[in-house]
Amino acid sequence: MTDDILIRNHVTVSGFGTQPMMFAHGFGCDQNMWRFVAPAFKDDYRVVLFDYVGSGKSDLKAWDPARYASLDGYAQDVLDICHALDLRDVIFVGHSVSSMIGVLAANREPDRFARLIMIGPSPRYINDPPDYVGGFERGEIDGLLETMEKNYIGWANFLAPAIMKNPDRPELAAELETSFCSTDPVIARRFAEATFFADNRGDLAAVQHPSLIMQCSDDMIAPDAVGDYVHRAIAGSTLQKLRATGHCPHMSHPEETIAAIQQYLSAHPADEPARMV
Amino acid sequence: MLDVAAIDPVLDEAPCGFVSFTDDGTVLMANRTLATMLGVAPDALVGRHVESMLTVGSRIFYQTHLFPLLRLHGHADEIFLLLRGASGEDVAALANAVRRERDGVWINECILLRLEERRKFEDALLAAKKEAEAARVEMERQRQIAEEANQAKSAFLATMSHELRTPLNAIGGYVQLLEMGIHGPVTSAQASALARVSQSQRHLLRLINEILNLARIESGRVDYTLREFPVADVAESVLPMIEPQIVSRSLQFVTAIPRDVVAYADREKVEQILINLLSNAMKFTAPGGRVELRARFSPGDSRCVEITVSDTGAGIPPDRLEQIFEPFVQVDSNLATRKAGTGLGLTISRDLARGMGGDLTARSTLGEGSVFTLTMPAGA
Repeated sequence: MTDDILIRNHVTVSGFGTQPMMFAHGFGCDQNMWRFVAPAFKDDYRVVLFDYVGSGKSDLKAWDPARYASLDGYAQDVLDICHALDLRDVIFVGHSVSSMIGVLAANREPDRFARLIMIGPSPRYINDPPDYVGGFERGEIDGLLETMEKNYIGWANFLAPAIMKNPDRPELAAELETSFCSTDPVIARRFAEATFFADNRGDLAAVQHPSLIMQCSDDMIAPDAVGDYVHRAIAGSTLQKLRATGHCPHMSHPEETIAAIQQYLSAHPADEPARMV
Repeated sequence: MLDVAAIDPVLDEAPCGFVSFTDDGTVLMANRTLATMLGVAPDALVGRHVESMLTVGSRIFYQTHLFPLLRLHGHADEIFLLLRGASGEDVAALANAVRRERDGVWINECILLRLEERRKFEDALLAAKKEAEAARVEMERQRQIAEEANQAKSAFLATMSHELRTPLNAIGGYVQLLEMGIHGPVTSAQASALARVSQSQRHLLRLINEILNLARIESGRVDYTLREFPVADVAESVLPMIEPQIVSRSLQFVTAIPRDVVAYADREKVEQILINLLSNAMKFTAPGGRVELRARFSPGDSRCVEITVSDTGAGIPPDRLEQIFEPFVQVDSNLATRKAGTGLGLTISRDLARGMGGDLTARSTLGEGSVFTLTMPAGA
């Protein structure tokens, strides 16, 4: 059972420390996105990397349309891994949608977590007039889905029957794998829908753990107003503005990202209570 | 601070857009062709964020897929993007990009090809594929429904077969006992009445058998044992069966079948069909008339054999020639003067013929007679 989960989610564990630090990738990619940041924490922590079912080198056969239609299914992946490795006092680092996935997981099993570090979080991407600005209209998300469809994802959809009928041409499947982080077009689309149509504003108030919100400058996916919203909704949270622009500071500005995380962890050392209530 | 050299004039006017930008998205260089594609002035792009030339959907895609791809793999190939033109229109483009180091700084270099015509072509192709898939699924669904209906029908028939035959057998049995005088002597009036009951019972039994037979044929549940045999042999087998009727109706019967006419079919079923055709011919031909049974290779097609049963009867009106093959239709729709029979013979005969790869057709001239033609595949 344990091994099944570790294989299912392509879990990799490294590092010399005892406290686990779990890095969760966002929509569109896989654990490789942490390659410029995670190694910096190996000396002091037990670094846990994984791919959500449907991404990277996870077991695609384990994908279930009902489970992964909402972020709860992805949160379950996180908890499954915590159970499999019996992780406690987890420092959870989530990029983008994984910030909310971390919130959901930590709200369900608070005892397993110690800190939540969120890079570019957003509890809801679609505007909710009159007061909430998520940054997007529904039609713009449809534009994303269309672009995804046209990009290899559409091709993959087109080619998929050919690939399935050509088990003697594994290079076709390999081409798909190397070109994009997510290999299956249906799965990618469902993940996009689960991400961009989610509304987790109501889950923020229940967060019990010390939390860091890392806000990039000029991030069109998680703009300043959204970062502020999350900061206000999570009592006692820390908002750290980065000079880094865009949505992927851990890839575009890894040094600043590492520094921000290290600074936060020093300011909230392990002997500080994991729960704030 | 990166020293951005002036753009090479050849690159500036290349038949593709070119843009280079840093990891944080700042445009370092953009060529004239790209500016034209977007409907902006040639120097309007430098210093802006590369995202500003994309639609919102493509911007999200850039942040979630394209940039990670460039950063992690060093290149991104054949990426579809929607560019946002100055006047708000979408420009479909195909991007190829590499990430490389120049003068100690990492730069992303990207060409953009206009893709509009190809995009329409691809859209049409994807739509057609979706339609074909939907049609296939629908066809499969219909096939399932038909299969279920067929099975339901078979199950129903099997049940009915038993349910209907059992009481009919009882009727026949008890009538027979009565006729035999088991329950005492039978008056002639009673015998006459019993004969009527018996006749109706036999007719009903025949009808049930033929209906079930027909249903079995139509469900494809009949097995055909195909082999070669001379048609003349079949004619010889059926002759004794029809002889009584020939004699009792004072008919002339003519048959002349060359021995080299060989069919490839189920012999028993051919016999059944011929008996049906000959019975009909004799039934509908007045005494003194003639019934002929002939066979030959189809003129002009030696892979086919034609067996004809012709009569000098009253003939069939032209508008009824197709209808007689339908279930329960007899030429004479007047119930009072109708001949005995279930009205299923020709339906079954034609279904059997077609099941063996042949056919059964009729032609007729009112007042002169009819010709029924059974075609079968020929033997070697």
